[in-house]
Amino acid sequence: MPSSFPPLQRVAVTSLGLVTPLGIGRAENLDALRCARPGISPVRQFETEGCRCRVAGQVKESRLPVDEGRTLQGLRGLHRSGRMMLAAARELLSSDPAFVPEASVIGTTSGGMSFGEAFFRDFPKSRRGAPRRLSHYAPQKAVVDLHEVFGASGIPCQIIANACASGANAIGHAFQLIANGVRRRVLAGGYDALSELVYVGFDSLQASTPDRCRPFDKNRSGLVMGEGAALIALEAWDDALARRAPILGEVIGYGISTDNHHLTQPHPSGIGPRLAMERALQSARLAPAAIDYINAHGTATPFNDATEGVAIEAIFGPGAVPVSSTKGQTGHTLGAAGAIEAVFCLLALEGEFLPPNVNYVEADPQWHLDIVANTARPAQPRTVLTNSFGFGGTNASLILRRDGEGVYS
Amino acid sequence: MNLGLRAMSWVTPLGNGLEEVMDRLAAGEVAQAAPCPDAPGDGPRYYIPVASDARGPLSRIPRVRRSGAISYHALTAGLAALEAGGVEPLSPLAPAVAQRTAIVFAICSGGVQYTRRLYEKIVQGGPPAASPLLFPETVYNAPASHLAATLGVEGESYTLVGDSTVGLAALEFAGELLACQPGLEQCLVVGCEECDWILWEGYQSWRLCSREPSVSLEPPRGMLLSEGAAALLVGRTGTGRVDLSISTGTHGQRRDAGMRLRECLNRLAPTSCDLLVGSANGTWIGPIEHAALAPCFPEARWLTPKAALGESLAASSLIQTIFAAQAVIGGSAKAAAVSAIGLNQQVGAAFVHPLSSPVS
Repeated sequence: MPSSFPPLQRVAVTSLGLVTPLGIGRAENLDALRCARPGISPVRQFETEGCRCRVAGQVKESRLPVDEGRTLQGLRGLHRSGRMMLAAARELLSSDPAFVPEASVIGTTSGGMSFGEAFFRDFPKSRRGAPRRLSHYAPQKAVVDLHEVFGASGIPCQIIANACASGANAIGHAFQLIANGVRRRVLAGGYDALSELVYVGFDSLQASTPDRCRPFDKNRSGLVMGEGAALIALEAWDDALARRAPILGEVIGYGISTDNHHLTQPHPSGIGPRLAMERALQSARLAPAAIDYINAHGTATPFNDATEGVAIEAIFGPGAVPVSSTKGQTGHTLGAAGAIEAVFCLLALEGEFLPPNVNYVEADPQWHLDIVANTARPAQPRTVLTNSFGFGGTNASLILRRDGEGVYS
Repeated sequence: MNLGLRAMSWVTPLGNGLEEVMDRLAAGEVAQAAPCPDAPGDGPRYYIPVASDARGPLSRIPRVRRSGAISYHALTAGLAALEAGGVEPLSPLAPAVAQRTAIVFAICSGGVQYTRRLYEKIVQGGPPAASPLLFPETVYNAPASHLAATLGVEGESYTLVGDSTVGLAALEFAGELLACQPGLEQCLVVGCEECDWILWEGYQSWRLCSREPSVSLEPPRGMLLSEGAAALLVGRTGTGRVDLSISTGTHGQRRDAGMRLRECLNRLAPTSCDLLVGSANGTWIGPIEHAALAPCFPEARWLTPKAALGESLAASSLIQTIFAAQAVIGGSAKAAAVSAIGLNQQVGAAFVHPLSSPVS
């Protein structure tokens, strides 16, 4: 399978923005990860009577930015997901205000879905507000509006909708563009807001749990939904150094695979996740032993964790590398998950710890993994891998590195 | 971003054959509109369906038996493009070919029929009424997944979402993949669309849909949504007779759309272009596009396929590109530009030129 061209350019992460059920911004998220504080709460945005699961990882409405007024006219009436993206963009720009992207590559699964739901529910009674709401239904709206915030109006916008791998695919594609000299600066990330249709849809598949979300636990019974947004500024390393930008880390590898077994179920052999991880290692020119930590996709569904666990053990060996899924704390943020978890990896590299896998009680005898159980683990990881898998058999793995001592701000 | 065009195919309201549809358009045929089925309330909501039963032999593929119309359109176009490129119909690719083939999908509304039906059930019957058979097909990348499974592609498969320019964005993305992945030899780019009354209502909330079963460009009186799909097989170099150059962008405000479109075309620096395939669809797009480009192409002929085929959203800019390529291959144009302004803040342009024509 194809590997990358020899990288022409190292790819620096110069800034980030993060909105999750654990908090707004890196400081709140870092603290929540270190303390293993969960962000799961009863669903407030729609009725869940009759669902298996009635909780979700939700971003506090009161913490999101409100309408911006004249200077950001297009941002009036923003969908919740757009407001998450705006908050993430503000954080990103606060630490690297000189970052002006040439293009944006963003992942999502459902864009402004809840505005579409409201339109359907109101039809044909009221059309008031429908035009504005529907403009924010379009997945690109939340991104194109941000271009103005970055002073980059007119730049190309690619919205990747590869289900729950979308955010990782977006960062991976942006990484490839810079590494191969196609672009110099790309805004990458992912977002998704909770929506009734998607929430109930996962519930109808019995993928959601009436219990706690217990990734990799023997008695795991499903996922808990979540929402959030994460953005990272990616830049050609030389350019970032030349302008003395803060460098938070480096993206060094990306792998993608497609598992054709079933639209919603992975092949039991774990071939999909395995190929994605192997291709990411190949892209980074690393042996498995170089990986110090894996942030797993770990949705806590029986099928996902079984295939991912098997694949991790096959590549890295039994118990050879610490593994955790942070979805027990955040819920499954779908198109945002790959981006949020890549940022969590950057926080782990910077903060010298491994994020915890909460709600873990009993090891699953199907595999032998070193699960970072329930509490954060002090460590000094230098190279980490993060997985994201989705419906349609899409699998993506990213490798990030803390490197270049002395260049960090 | 430059690409070699290897093969192409489409599913349109006037048929599926490349030359057949070109001939019918040249003869002045216009696709027939029909009322959206199952629409509630008063007044017809017109759309343009595809001409024939899209399912055909695809029903033999177990993976797509429960799929919506959008996946059938996509697979019909995608498999036909591969067949035109020399691949046996309805068969998985040889493993060595599959490893070197990427899939890039362009999606606008996705599986809107299943999405509306699923949500209708939830609203009417609560969560227990939600069908686990419908939900997976509502996911944007379901059509791409079905095509990947049919072809045995286990590597790069991406679905891009956007407005009616997303087909050009998908072509640009394919070019980027080819620029970054030495092991990739070709990308199959597919755009596809299905219609539903809720889609009509959504666009009509902006007063964008025609109340009549026909399209008027001058003056613009609204668009007719249409179904269809288009597929282009592209590589670093072509095996056909034309190459493509692609550039895309965005516009924050409608008033900027023309300027951003010109920027896209300027990046392509088209030379000796005597045909412009526009995106006018009966809405505000036509006047803005004309004002922006008429000074740049004073001698070029303008063709607007959406007047005859309707606005097929995710498929439309790829249909325009095929239209331009067919014109160049057929000798009715020396080189052609494709212009696309979307209804939701995106723009794009393509330049279709004979092999070895100089481009920037």
